[in-house]
Amino acid sequence: MAASALCWALRAARQVLPSQTRGYYVDWRMLRDVKRRKLAYEYADERLRINAIRKNTILPKELQEVADKEIAALPRDSCPVRIHNRCVLTSRPRGVKRRWRLSRIVFRHFADHAQMSGIQRAMW
Amino acid sequence: MKVEVTTKRKFQELKEQEIKKQATNEQEGLDSESSTFQNTAEDVQRSKPLNPELVQAASAVASSFPRSKEQAESELLAQLRRHEETTDKQRRGGTINIRNVISEMAVKRQSPAQRGVRISNRISLEMDEDGQRIKPGRSSSRSFDSGRSLKAGKRLNIFTKASPETENTLKTVSSPTIWDLEFAKEIAAVTEQPPRNGFEEMIQWTKEGILWEFPIDNEAGMDDGAEFHEHIFLEKHLKDFPKQGPIRHFMELVICGLSKNPYLSVKQKIEHIEWFRNYFEEKKEFLQEI
Repeated sequence: MAASALCWALRAARQVLPSQTRGYYVDWRMLRDVKRRKLAYEYADERLRINAIRKNTILPKELQEVADKEIAALPRDSCPVRIHNRCVLTSRPRGVKRRWRLSRIVFRHFADHAQMSGIQRAMW
Repeated sequence: MKVEVTTKRKFQELKEQEIKKQATNEQEGLDSESSTFQNTAEDVQRSKPLNPELVQAASAVASSFPRSKEQAESELLAQLRRHEETTDKQRRGGTINIRNVISEMAVKRQSPAQRGVRISNRISLEMDEDGQRIKPGRSSSRSFDSGRSLKAGKRLNIFTKASPETENTLKTVSSPTIWDLEFAKEIAAVTEQPPRNGFEEMIQWTKEGILWEFPIDNEAGMDDGAEFHEHIFLEKHLKDFPKQGPIRHFMELVICGLSKNPYLSVKQKIEHIEWFRNYFEEKKEFLQEI
């Protein structure tokens, strides 16, 4: 567990080479969110299939209970419910517009500097 | 001099034919060329002596000739030598008969004005938009210049057919290494010009995949070449399942759902069914207890 955390840390912080390259995730919470997204993508098919067996009225109930246990045994970060849409630039968890994946503050900053295509100050 | 009458007759006929041929050659004006080639052939083949009987027969025939006997004899001997040479070559296989090559050619007369035009066509001073010179276009009509086609005519056997083994060896040798790929990338990066206008920019973006292709293709990047029946009729994958029972019912529902799914490829659908098959195989003992 510690080793994997270290690996992730290394990947996030990159190696401190003479050129001093830094990682590109704003903070650890963003990194954890990235981890969850990757795992959810990996286990998506399996979860779908096991859920198809669970949410069923035809198969016997014992089979469905077995399937319940199986899906609970999968890693916790593999379920898509744990993904949270954070701001891409500031990692802000709240006030994020889905279309631009930006928090309201960053969005406003870019829009005022005319760097958002097709965005204009509303006036009516 | 022992010469049989029959052979003498034969050689007389041969001689007459040769004379006719040479007369026609003189008329065409190719005689100089053919004689020069004859001489070169003679020079090459003088190492091989002719059959002495043939030589004697030739001299006998030449003596009976009304006009210049020595000339006739020499020409006959030359003909004989050429015959020998051609038979030898045919025995060895693959004659490159220069006569065949030249027979179709004719001397072309060009006026100096035409020559000037030709040369100026080769040197082009125009520049393309990229700053590269326009090469003189080679039109395919050149092959039809003298009213002949490329495919007609006797086969000249000048080139040997490339054996498929050499092609294979070439392919194995040139399997692209990383350095070759890097080199190719370098060349592409150096030679590419920045886009001169918006159209070229859009073309570049389309190639990179940033811009979609218009008219919009709904199946862009998704088409795996499978027909609709492979997507819909998935019952054939249900062969290993039991025919009766809740599992079969369940799998038929799965197949119904998959057939209506336009977002999955056929491979993915088959993988789904495979997974279910493995799952139920593992649970067989468990199922039989129930």
